[in-house]
Amino acid sequence: MTIATTSGGGSGGALQQQGSGTSLADVVETVLDKGVVIDAQVSVAVVGIQLLEINARVVIASVETYLRFAETVDRLDIIPKKQKGLPDMVEGASGAGSTAAGLGKTVGAIGGAVKEAVSGGDDDGGDKRVRQRRRERED
Amino acid sequence: MAEETALFVYGIVPSDVEPTENASGVGDPPAEVTLIRQGRLAALVSEIPLDTPLGRPADLRAYQELLDGTAAVAPVLPVRFGTALDGPDGVTDLLATHQDRFAAALDELEGRVQYALHGRYREGEFVAAVLADNPAAADLAEQVRGQPEEVTREQRIRLGELISQAVELSREAETTRLLEALGPLAVASAPRAPSNEMDAGYAVFLVDTERAEEFIAAAEEYAEQRRDLIRARLLGPLAPYDFADAHELVG
Repeated sequence: MTIATTSGGGSGGALQQQGSGTSLADVVETVLDKGVVIDAQVSVAVVGIQLLEINARVVIASVETYLRFAETVDRLDIIPKKQKGLPDMVEGASGAGSTAAGLGKTVGAIGGAVKEAVSGGDDDGGDKRVRQRRRERED
Repeated sequence: MAEETALFVYGIVPSDVEPTENASGVGDPPAEVTLIRQGRLAALVSEIPLDTPLGRPADLRAYQELLDGTAAVAPVLPVRFGTALDGPDGVTDLLATHQDRFAAALDELEGRVQYALHGRYREGEFVAAVLADNPAAADLAEQVRGQPEEVTREQRIRLGELISQAVELSREAETTRLLEALGPLAVASAPRAPSNEMDAGYAVFLVDTERAEEFIAAAEEYAEQRRDLIRARLLGPLAPYDFADAHELVG
C-alpha cells in the first residue's frame, strides 16, 4: 500500500516524496483534528457518532528517551572514526535501522486504539475502546 | 429502515464537481460516496450506520484518499474527521446557511494544494554532532561508554537529557530554516508539532499548483543541503487540511 518514490532515482535525491497512502502515523498526523469544525453551534443537524479512541501524538522526552540516546552513544563508539569519511555506506547501514526504530516510536507515541489497531491488523476487534462523541445540544 | 444511519461529511466542494465512479468511503464495507448539492456548493458524504464506531486505520485512509484525490482536481474544504449530520436536509441547511463563507474559502483554495515537509534527524549523526559541540556531553559519553547501564544509569540519563535538549534547540532553528527556505514559494505556511523525539523541522505549505514544480525543487534543495544530518520527506499533494482552520466557523 505504501507508495514511496525517491526523487531523482539512484543515489541522487535526498528528498523522499510520498503522496497519499503513506504510513498510518502519517495519515493520523495529516488528518486528525484538522479541517473545518462543524459542531452543534454551527448546525443543529450534527449527530454524535462513535469514534475509536485515537490519541493525537504528544512528544514528551522521558527517561526512556534519555537512556536510548545514551545507547546511541554506545553504538557510535563501535564505529571507527575514519569511517566518517564514507557517509554513504554508514548512512545506508544505519538508515534502515533507524527507520524501523523511528516508525516503532511514532506508533508508540500515537498510542490508544491506533496502536491496538496496528498490532491487530485491519480486522475490527471487539476490544477497542470506544469514545462517544458528546455533542452539546443546548443553544 | 432497520438501523439508524447518519451522513458522514468528508468535505465541501463547488457544486460542479462530479464524484468518480469508484470513490469509496469510510466504514466496512466501504460506503459509497455521494454528493449533496445546494446552490454553488456541494458536500461529499456517505451514509453510515450509527451503531458502528469509526476511526479504524482503513477509515482514516479512506477519508484522506478521497480528499486528496478530490484536491487534485478541484478545491475542497476538508471537514473534520468524525463529523456527521442527521440527513440530507441537515446537509443542505448547513450549505445554505454558510454559503458565502464556504464559497469564499473554496475560491481561496482554487488551484492550491497542501504539502508537508517532515524532517527527522539521523540519530547517529546528530548525537555525534552534539558530542563534538558540547564538552559536558562528551565527558559523560566517556563515562558511560562500554559500561553496563546499571552502574552508569545516572550519567546516562544526564547525557540523554543533554542530547534531548540539543534536539529541541536544533528543531526550533531547523523549523525556522525550513519555513524560510520554502515559505516564499507557498501561499501560506505553518509549523507542525513534532511527532517523534528525533523530529527536525516539520511544516505544512499551501502551494499554487502552478508553482508546485518550483516548490518541489526548493524542497529538494533544502533536503540536499541538510542530508548529512536530516532525512527529509515531502508528503503531498494533499487536501488543505491545515489551511481550513482559517475558516473556522464560530457560533
